[in-house]
Amino acid sequence: MAIKKDLSIDYLGVKCENPFFLSSSPVGGNYDMVAKAYEAGWAGVFFKTVGIFVADECSPRFDNTNKEGLPWLGFKNMEQISDKPTELNFEFMYRLKRDYPEKILVSTIMGSSDAEWAALAKMSEQAGADLIEGNFSCPQMTSHAMGSDVGSNPKLVKQYTKAVVKATKIPFIAKMTPNITSMEVPARAAIEGGAAGVSAINTVKSITNIDLDNMTAMPVVNGKSSISGYSGAAIRPIALRFVAQLFQDPTVKDVEISGIGGIETWRDALEFLLLGCRNLQVTTAIMQYGYRIVEDMANGLAHWMDERGYDRLDDFIGIALPNIIPAEELDRSFKVLPAFDTKKCIGCGRCYVSCYDGAHQAIDWDAKKRRPVLNDECVGCHLCLNVCPVKDCITPGEIKWKKRAKKVSPVVQVNYD
Amino acid sequence: MSKVKTGSYTSEAVRGFDHRTAMEEAARCLLCHDAPCSEGCPAGTDPGKFIRSIRFRNPKGAAETIRENNVLGGVCARVCPYDRLCEEACSRTGIDRPIEIGKLQRYAVEQEKAFRMKVLKAPRGRKNQGAVACVGAGPASLALAAELAKAGYRVTIFEKEKKAGGVLTYGITPARLPQYVVDQDIAAVKGLGVEFEFGTEIGKKITAQDLIEQKGYDAVFIGAGLWQGRSAGVPGEDLKGVLTAVDFLKEARTKGGYAAMKDKTVVVVGGGDVAMDCATTAKLSGAAKVAIWYRRSVEEAPASMDEIRYAHDLGITITTEFAPKAFTGKGKKVEYAEFTGRDKKSSATAACDFVVLAIGQTAEDMSKITGASLSGKGCIAVRKGGKTNLPGIFAAGDIANGGKTVVEAVAEGKEAAASIITYLKKKAVKPAKKAVK
Repeated sequence: MAIKKDLSIDYLGVKCENPFFLSSSPVGGNYDMVAKAYEAGWAGVFFKTVGIFVADECSPRFDNTNKEGLPWLGFKNMEQISDKPTELNFEFMYRLKRDYPEKILVSTIMGSSDAEWAALAKMSEQAGADLIEGNFSCPQMTSHAMGSDVGSNPKLVKQYTKAVVKATKIPFIAKMTPNITSMEVPARAAIEGGAAGVSAINTVKSITNIDLDNMTAMPVVNGKSSISGYSGAAIRPIALRFVAQLFQDPTVKDVEISGIGGIETWRDALEFLLLGCRNLQVTTAIMQYGYRIVEDMANGLAHWMDERGYDRLDDFIGIALPNIIPAEELDRSFKVLPAFDTKKCIGCGRCYVSCYDGAHQAIDWDAKKRRPVLNDECVGCHLCLNVCPVKDCITPGEIKWKKRAKKVSPVVQVNYD
Repeated sequence: MSKVKTGSYTSEAVRGFDHRTAMEEAARCLLCHDAPCSEGCPAGTDPGKFIRSIRFRNPKGAAETIRENNVLGGVCARVCPYDRLCEEACSRTGIDRPIEIGKLQRYAVEQEKAFRMKVLKAPRGRKNQGAVACVGAGPASLALAAELAKAGYRVTIFEKEKKAGGVLTYGITPARLPQYVVDQDIAAVKGLGVEFEFGTEIGKKITAQDLIEQKGYDAVFIGAGLWQGRSAGVPGEDLKGVLTAVDFLKEARTKGGYAAMKDKTVVVVGGGDVAMDCATTAKLSGAAKVAIWYRRSVEEAPASMDEIRYAHDLGITITTEFAPKAFTGKGKKVEYAEFTGRDKKSSATAACDFVVLAIGQTAEDMSKITGASLSGKGCIAVRKGGKTNLPGIFAAGDIANGGKTVVEAVAEGKEAAASIITYLKKKAVKPAKKAVK
């Protein structure tokens, strides 16, 4: 029997069967798609952003980056908000809520004036949406009165949030753009305007590749291209950073933060939960692999909870956050030397090359035995451990204390994938 | 549905990489410091360097590395026994399985063709340092000729057949080594200005010595190969339908298969790569049943595991530890192959329409070509660098080593080129005489 765990969670007063939602994007743009996603196991959807503005899209509109043959390291998307008539989108939402009352429907909206935002909020309420998300962050809108140009302007964020909150009692979530130095600033503005939560991050403005035949970015649209949003695995570290900083902000920490950015596996999802997110949104991995990925997210998370003896998500949400501290507060009194398992070592010499060229020339190379030999220059940086291709061949070893350091046994990483 | 692979005579045994799959394989490479694979190649190819080029999206650089080291890089990519050379040395084996170095080399050489690259160029204005004649256009001669041409020497290759390549063109099956691959490598040799005289058999009217004394060559290299099929020394070898591997493969290669074997039963005797080539050629030519009989065990068989596996995939059986005793037939045609077991107790008789003897090749009569000393097996006796006992006469490849791999012929050809250069420099050869056209 497959493992069963209670993955349900309360998010902004709404009971969700699990924290996994589609984000507002191409993956949830009509009735059939969302219905299929619900049936695959997603708890809810942030429906593809609806505006009064109806998008006119370019073709093609996607590109991806790869490394060493591995595709979809990151993904570029030039699609804007929905290209369907406003009324049709709300009709989809109405039917979805009618047919799947247990599932959660979030209406994501984007206006270009107070009146538009208010009207969209009202229509969302009429359609039966459980929550409303304001898209302040799409970086590829053809109108500068919308999208990330708004999201990087705290005054507008606050103003439009107010317009929505005035029009409806449904909790409002402001979706943040990462194309800004301090996300806390617009997040605070949203809260001042009455937002119940924020979601982060939307896509990162990018140029993924230059096409060498057409001498423009990719994708090539009649010989030209534009800067637009980057998503997927490559941006997860950036998303985690923004989310952590939002939770560390004295104002923002008190509202719900929905985590978005490169989630593909249960482990990725868990990382956002451990920082404090109570809701998670996914698009890029679905575009690559389909809705079915939620099965392993839910099952994998359940197995991890079982391993650790957790029964509810609430038992561990946010527990990693206090351990993320400013660089100046780190314990710098010791170094952890690498330990080499010469039996596991296959003699590739990568540790030697990287230590010499990228670190401190602390590894000598025994050319005859083809084995690394640590010398006294080691500073404990662990570059060698990072480049070693053999599992558990190089591991944290002896602790060396700096002069006059208090010799307390430090906590070190034990598991390396 | 049969699990057995099917195909035509020219179907390629292995599918190559494309850009994506090559990158995936190159990404598996650990890019070792002082890469052990690069120590493993007799011909001095540097896989550590060319795989790194592929990994860093530079397939043209990879093609250069291969071609500069080994003018027969395309051929070697297809027929080298990697499992015993570079891939055996691969560090990745310590984690799971070696990098497919041969297939990556094939990919890089294919890029050279796709990009119409001309990697090797003869040096300008150094054409008249000396002239060297080669006997036979097989791998050893081709490798030697390229080295000499790169160093500014004039080289003419005399070949009795109509095409260059020797065993590459007239022996190895196209399933393993398609002709276009051979042609691409030969084009690289020709691109260096090496000249070919086809249909000229040295030893018929003129000897190697004549090439020096009458034709004005400064040195002669003999890369004649082994073209005499070894006999099993058992009764019935003269029956119709009993063929030697050399003749059989040459006929198939020239005519695009061996049509007479269609729907017939074929017995192949032997356990080397040539035996595997004969069996697969027979099967892909349409033979109904092909069985390999080998006097020793699979463990002892010199054929590479890949070739044995390929024969198996085609539905060919291998019966081990049975040696031929006699071939019999009521008339002039072979009807049965009889075998005796290694255990001296077992015996077997197989009905067949054809027998192919792939039990080794020997040298043809070399005394017609040169007066140089011969070894016991009729091969040309050489010292290091392919020197014979006669000044100016050199030899390498199968005719000197008794029959080894293509890559070893390349390695020896390169060594012989170096030793010829030393010889010519010592001799202080004046610009080539007029007799050389």
